[in-house]
Amino acid sequence: MANVVVENLTRVFETKSRKVLALDKVSLEVRSGEVFGLLGPNGAGKTTLIRILTTLLLPTSGRALVGGYDVVKEAKKVRGIIGFSSSSERVGFDFVTARRNLWFFSQLYGLSTSIANRRIEELAALLEFQDQLDRKLYTLTTGYRQRLNIARALINDPLVVFFDEPTNGMDVFSAKKVRELFVKEAKINSRTMFLATHNMFEAEEICDRVAIIDKGRILAIDTPENLKSSLSKPVVLFETDVAGAQIDDPTQLEGVVGGTIRVDDENETAKIRVILRDEIFLEKILDILEKRRVRVYNYQILEPTLEDVFISQVGAGFAERERSVEV
Amino acid sequence: MRFSFTLWAKVVIARALIRVIAMYGDPLWILVNVGGPLLTSTALAFLYRFAGLPQFTGFAILGGGIAAYWGNVLWSMASQLSWDKRSGMLYLYITSPAPLTALLIGMSLGGILGTLPSSIAVLITGTLLFKPPFSPPTITLVLIFMLTLVALYGMGIALSSLYLFLSREAEEINEALYEPVSFLSGIYFPSIGRSSPLPIAIQAVAALIPLTIGMDSLRRTVFYAEGLSELWPNIALLAAMAVTSIYIGLKMLSYIERRGRETGDILVTLK
Ligand SMILES: Nc1ncnc2c1ncn2[C@@H]1O[C@H](COP(=O)(O)OP(=O)(O)OP(=O)(O)O)[C@@H](O)[C@H]1O
Ligand SMILES: [Mg+2]
Repeated sequence: MANVVVENLTRVFETKSRKVLALDKVSLEVRSGEVFGLLGPNGAGKTTLIRILTTLLLPTSGRALVGGYDVVKEAKKVRGIIGFSSSSERVGFDFVTARRNLWFFSQLYGLSTSIANRRIEELAALLEFQDQLDRKLYTLTTGYRQRLNIARALINDPLVVFFDEPTNGMDVFSAKKVRELFVKEAKINSRTMFLATHNMFEAEEICDRVAIIDKGRILAIDTPENLKSSLSKPVVLFETDVAGAQIDDPTQLEGVVGGTIRVDDENETAKIRVILRDEIFLEKILDILEKRRVRVYNYQILEPTLEDVFISQVGAGFAERERSVEV
Repeated sequence: MRFSFTLWAKVVIARALIRVIAMYGDPLWILVNVGGPLLTSTALAFLYRFAGLPQFTGFAILGGGIAAYWGNVLWSMASQLSWDKRSGMLYLYITSPAPLTALLIGMSLGGILGTLPSSIAVLITGTLLFKPPFSPPTITLVLIFMLTLVALYGMGIALSSLYLFLSREAEEINEALYEPVSFLSGIYFPSIGRSSPLPIAIQAVAALIPLTIGMDSLRRTVFYAEGLSELWPNIALLAAMAVTSIYIGLKMLSYIERRGRETGDILVTLK
């Protein structure tokens, strides 16, 4: 069953100075038991979509259903069956224990205290913070606090859970725990886990399907494997001396669909990573680099990543995109 | 979905309980909220005594008992929603089935219960130290005291919705409001009526604040043994103010929710 249905969803923000098209006719469906990732650079519209699906924000046009309920007309019903957490929140009562905090949130859904207590124990066990439950919130480390937020989002046994950049700023161990939990919750409890992220690794590792989004438009939706294999173009990495950084836009090079350049100041090298229209352009690029007096130390053809899928459509990587789009 | 009274009640109780636990979980809070009014009212009581106005020492002590609530309303109620907005809590409230009205009423209830001990502490200490001429408590006194609290927290509800609209930080508005309102409402001296030292125009402004009417009525029952027959206009006014401010507050809140969902920046802080 499709727990999330989005049809031609558009959202425009109008401020005094400008008009932003944050979502542009977005359509997608997510089934139960699926871990779904919304992957895109800053300002792509991820948070906006999640805000609409969690009934905080109204769409300008289009329609969205969560658990079969319309997010505009049946917002109250939607609110009973969803959970939400964002890495940018700092939620909870500092001078109250973790356990009491979770109990408080369970009351927002009208849970009985006995059921709530059972849920709290279960979730604390799953996320391994049982020993923290009776400590006041302000004494908890960031990692535990973040895990607590994830637990909170699941307290009401929701059908669909939305996470906005869930592991952003999280320590490696907590992030690993949380990712494992996402997969478990989807597979064992048939929940829909809907995450917004700009972490490619996370999207590849745990998402059953990924929607790549940029400037409010969905560029592609598929499994990470299919997305990568659909990119039939070669991805090449050139390691050069710092002179390689002169090329500020790799698409200037002949045959390059898109790419990124990273300078490593410490080793005085540059990494030019490009997607080529065809392998025949490899030689040409080597020629161009030689003419520009860029020394190439090494080059190799790489397995494509999800970012390459993004680059192949947009021409630039996440970082370049974030610099060019004023957020 | 039908209005569910059980959910409403659960949210009220949970919010009230958390408020009380949070208040007493913070030692600094106790120090400021019990210590502050205690010191102010004791200092004023001494001043009145040395100035040869012993009947006024009672005003200072009664004022200390009420000042704690006024402080709680301003610093904890009025600013609460804008803090909740900044932390992301308001987002969770809005997107959960919990009614915002229940959260605000729970918050008020918790604030009243949590402030009660400090208010009592001030009254007892002041009474023991200065032995002011309090009249024995009456039903009228209890009624007025409760109405004053309802009107005061109603003001808190209205302010907390209003703060969401204003782009200034809640703390700044609080700073701007605390002293003038404390002064005008006459927490420590009669700001309206025959014994008021203030010009009539200022008295008229002061009378618009529910706390002023509450303080005036409290003083008249406690020190002049006035009863229902004299005080009924005050009581009616206080009740009307309580109902109006709660009504305005809750209306404003549902407007904010609607408007917030349209504009996208009233309910959440943008990075
Ligand atoms: N309330 C608002 N008013 C005006 N513009 C807004 C508002 N909310 C978002 N925007 C704009 O809409 C666009 C999409 O923003 P959104 O927050 O959805 O992106 P995002 O993908 O979540 O980015 P990030 O990775 O930075 O969180 C941005 O250009 C942003 O500035
Ligand atoms: Mg975002």
